Amino acid sequence: MKEKLETIRQQALEEITHAAESEALEQTRVKYLGRKGELTQILRGLSQVAPEERKTMGQAANEIKEAIASALEGRKRELEAKELEEQASRNRADLTLPGRRPRIGHKHLVSQVIEEIVDIFSGMGFQTATGPDIETEYYNFESMNTPEDHPARDLHDTFFVKDGVVLRTHTSPVQMRVMESTNPPVAVVVPGRTFRVDNDASHSPMFFQIEGLLVDKEVNFAELKGALMHFVHSFFGKDTAVRFRPHYFPFTEPSAEMDISCTVCGGQGCRLCKHQGWLEILGCGMVHPQVFRYAGYDVEEVTGFAFGMGVDRIALLKHSIDSIHHLYENDLRFLEQF
Amino acid sequence: MRVSLNWLREFVDIDMSPEQLADHLTMLGLEIESVERLGQDIKNVRVGQIRSIEPHPNADKLTVCQTDVGDGQPLQIICGATNMKVGDKVPTVVDGSVLPGGFKIGRRKMRGVESQGMMCSETELGIGEDAGGLLILPEDVSLGADVVSLLELDDVVFEIEVTPNRGDWAGVIGVAREISASLGEELELPDIHLITSERQQAADVSSVTIDDEELCPRYAGRILVEAEVGESPAWMKARLHAAGVRAINNVVDITNYVLIETGHPLHAFDLDTLTEKRIIVRRAEDGESIRTLDGVERKLDRDVLIIADAKRPVAVAGIMGGEDTEVGESTQNIFLESAVFNPRFIRHGSRSLGLITEASQRFQRGADPAMARYALDTAAALMREYVDTDVLEGVLDEYPSPERPRQVTLRYLRTNEVLGDEVPPHRQSKFIQNLGFETVEETSTASTFRVPTWRHDVREEADLIEEVARLHGYGAIEPEIPKIARRGEDLAPEEMRLRRLREFVVGLGYTECITLAFGNPEDTKAAGLNGGAGDMVTLMNPLSEKHSAMRTSLLPGLLRTCAHNLNHGVDDQALFEMGPVYFPRDNQTLPSQHSRLGLLLTGRRRPAHWSEDDADMDFYDIKGYVEAILEYFGLQPTFRESHQTTFLPGQAAEILAGDKPAGCFGQVAPGASRAYEIDADVFVAELDLDVLLGIPRTPPQYRPSPPYPPYLRDMAILVPRDLPAGDVIELVWENGGELLQDVQLFDVYTGERIPEDKKSLALNLVFQSHEKTLSSNDTQAIWDRIVEQLQERLGAALR
Ligand SMILES: [Zn+2]
Repeated sequence: MKEKLETIRQQALEEITHAAESEALEQTRVKYLGRKGELTQILRGLSQVAPEERKTMGQAANEIKEAIASALEGRKRELEAKELEEQASRNRADLTLPGRRPRIGHKHLVSQVIEEIVDIFSGMGFQTATGPDIETEYYNFESMNTPEDHPARDLHDTFFVKDGVVLRTHTSPVQMRVMESTNPPVAVVVPGRTFRVDNDASHSPMFFQIEGLLVDKEVNFAELKGALMHFVHSFFGKDTAVRFRPHYFPFTEPSAEMDISCTVCGGQGCRLCKHQGWLEILGCGMVHPQVFRYAGYDVEEVTGFAFGMGVDRIALLKHSIDSIHHLYENDLRFLEQF
Repeated sequence: MRVSLNWLREFVDIDMSPEQLADHLTMLGLEIESVERLGQDIKNVRVGQIRSIEPHPNADKLTVCQTDVGDGQPLQIICGATNMKVGDKVPTVVDGSVLPGGFKIGRRKMRGVESQGMMCSETELGIGEDAGGLLILPEDVSLGADVVSLLELDDVVFEIEVTPNRGDWAGVIGVAREISASLGEELELPDIHLITSERQQAADVSSVTIDDEELCPRYAGRILVEAEVGESPAWMKARLHAAGVRAINNVVDITNYVLIETGHPLHAFDLDTLTEKRIIVRRAEDGESIRTLDGVERKLDRDVLIIADAKRPVAVAGIMGGEDTEVGESTQNIFLESAVFNPRFIRHGSRSLGLITEASQRFQRGADPAMARYALDTAAALMREYVDTDVLEGVLDEYPSPERPRQVTLRYLRTNEVLGDEVPPHRQSKFIQNLGFETVEETSTASTFRVPTWRHDVREEADLIEEVARLHGYGAIEPEIPKIARRGEDLAPEEMRLRRLREFVVGLGYTECITLAFGNPEDTKAAGLNGGAGDMVTLMNPLSEKHSAMRTSLLPGLLRTCAHNLNHGVDDQALFEMGPVYFPRDNQTLPSQHSRLGLLLTGRRRPAHWSEDDADMDFYDIKGYVEAILEYFGLQPTFRESHQTTFLPGQAAEILAGDKPAGCFGQVAPGASRAYEIDADVFVAELDLDVLLGIPRTPPQYRPSPPYPPYLRDMAILVPRDLPAGDVIELVWENGGELLQDVQLFDVYTGERIPEDKKSLALNLVFQSHEKTLSSNDTQAIWDRIVEQLQERLGAALR
């Protein structure tokens, strides 16, 4: 009996090891552990064994049964793995073949840049404001302390719709519209389309500006610098150097232009920065008292700063684009790069 | 403006490198656009004296000169010029010299005779355009002297951008003044030693009358007699050349020289061409005209200020002189003008005549009446010396109401409040004084200053604060992040909604375009839109016909963009633009502006893929996207057929959102495609975002989903071919009762096995209950009712 069990064990393990496929393995299982299997028969026949042997024989038979079951399980996994591998070799995905992609849309670069800039300023507490693209001369020029025949008007080649109505040449008129409709404090950023009669290698007749205005008690030039430097460091990176130099705008006094270290050469001097190491980015200054008077604000009560930047120029600089005209040509091969 | 460093140094001590000075000026607000070094590459050019001139034995047009450069042995030089004589001193290039451009000179043979050097014209020295003859130097220069230092050719020229507020910077003295103020150095303005001739009084020869002192606050003139019009000295030509001005003759050159130095424009008339030798400053009369120095005959009118003699206009005041009274070689007597004109009038005149000159640009910025006199006398003194003329005693100086200097008070505390810095009071007042302001009154908290005549830009305290800030240095102010008190109300809530919509449309696979917001009637009509004269906002001064008006639709821009991309081989396109369109409005100052969303599709439905066949887009693609966007707005629109000529008939729809027209979409008609040179099927949509954003949106209310599984049943019916599928679906819904949860149309079929006038629709009906799992028994009654109604009302038959 004992020998018989041992023979079954050896035979079974042998057959399991040599089973070449699941089918054969299943046959082996049935042969030994099936309802009519050899081992099952023995276990059933235990009742006829002498009681004193029954316990030891039973134990031995059960051990063998477990050993066979475990071997079957092990071999089964091996065979499955082998079969999957065989399947894979017949049907392996080509990782170099393109997947089924949905069509990918792209936000226009100008939109991306506007959103990024607006977000930086809204993080500081500026709200978005807007105004009409077609403006009165009053808002575009006069209220911005640029009366008729002011020499600064020569710098703005203005599109006229009719007498007194123009395509706004900058986003500054929105300053006045906001101040007229709200009391201080005012903290706004104004993205928008602007227009000038200019169409050459570096000018487009339509372009985008972002205006900023902060008016409150005790707003000062140090804060103007702080806000704009924060913007530069967020947008162009922490290592970008910034400088402010005096300039002239009719609607700010003191006025400044802000330069950043050249985005190409980092300040060493190259063609882009005309070997100066600096790139002009925006104009800014403390709001001119005359502008406050137009707005009906008390010039002794409040001070403010304002700034205006060309979105297009900033986009070109950040992404090394050589012409503003790429922006409005809308060539998909261009748009899809951003 | 081009400013020479040597010239600046005549007025102020500068102890820094040109690069440092450029940086210094830039940080003062005089932006330096470029720094150019002159004379750098001229080496070893010396003063030589011609000892003899002999004909060249082998060439008619050449001579053999012996020129002494002070080395004892004269150099033999072959020369092609003819304007020299024995004894003339000329710039002489010796063996091993270098000329501009690094051009090296050595010994060489010319037609068999050795030449040991070269004698130079002004062109060869890079100081002028006259290449015709040798540059003859004054007799008193010393033999062998270095020509570079003699003529100050070794110079640095700064190109300065002068801002419109600072007319005083448009001259060397103004720039020097700024440097002196910033460095705390003295500005050294030389006294003018003008020696006048007593043989006649200016007032006995000529007279000046100002018609309107508003337009001409000051007019000063001097009379110069027996002038020798000729060439200017070499040093002056070199200076003018450095400043970018062409030498003409000594009289004109001196007026230009003084203009550059003082920033004040002068004009010289040939006195003998002035009728009655009189000067009258007046408005032109309608019908008068003048031929200006540029040879152009110009019609004048009441809005142009002129200088006239007793009979006719002789100059457009402050802009350009007349040809008839120009100083030329035959001129003997000169009327030299130095005046101040009203900036606005000059600007106006300059624009209406389309004539922008050095003079007009300066007068537009505001001239300095004090400088007018200084410039006149400086020029007169120079002319006495270099034009060999007598300056008659007396000035014809009409200055009826001398300008009263403005006074402006600066509060020191205010400066520091505005700047956010602590600039000590004594430094503040020192800065202002250095700039030429005089202190009228000073207390511990404030000072009142008298504004100098050249500072038209300083009108109030803020202007003085800027001066303090400039001289203190913008860089010295420590930046600080502003603390902003948050306001409640959102000023442009629609901006955020538009931005989210943009994200959504990009997410649908569309690429955003931004096209120029212009348009024109023809393009507009070509796109099947209204483009009549009154339908568009037109521009008075458009850049081109193409951009003659403002757009009234986004479609022309999208179609043009589509054509551009098709031309560049991009066949599959999904484009959108979000932006404004503009319409004229009666009885309103400003036109109206509306937000629109435009979509364009062409090419394949999906990006090409190796695993499947391509399918081109059709009407139902654009419709699906329109539906998706309307669903984004939470709207259930209705559509009705559109007959807009933009679209192919039968392939177009108008959108109604809550009964309001909210846009249209469809396939572009062949006519429109042709007009935009598009050879492809193109589908477009234009949605009115003002309408869509304006429809009030209530928050969607939660409906619980039924907990029991749905019971699905398909229905296939034959219906008349032209019956809208929507009618079927609507009817099914009407009769579906509470259990009907959804109706999906999953097939539309016409063709084989279907009668010609019929189509087959396949619907999937979804029944679901909140109470139990449904079976066919629970829905049979509803099903039967639906089938019956379909038959009765729509003539449908179950298949
Ligand atoms: Zn650079």
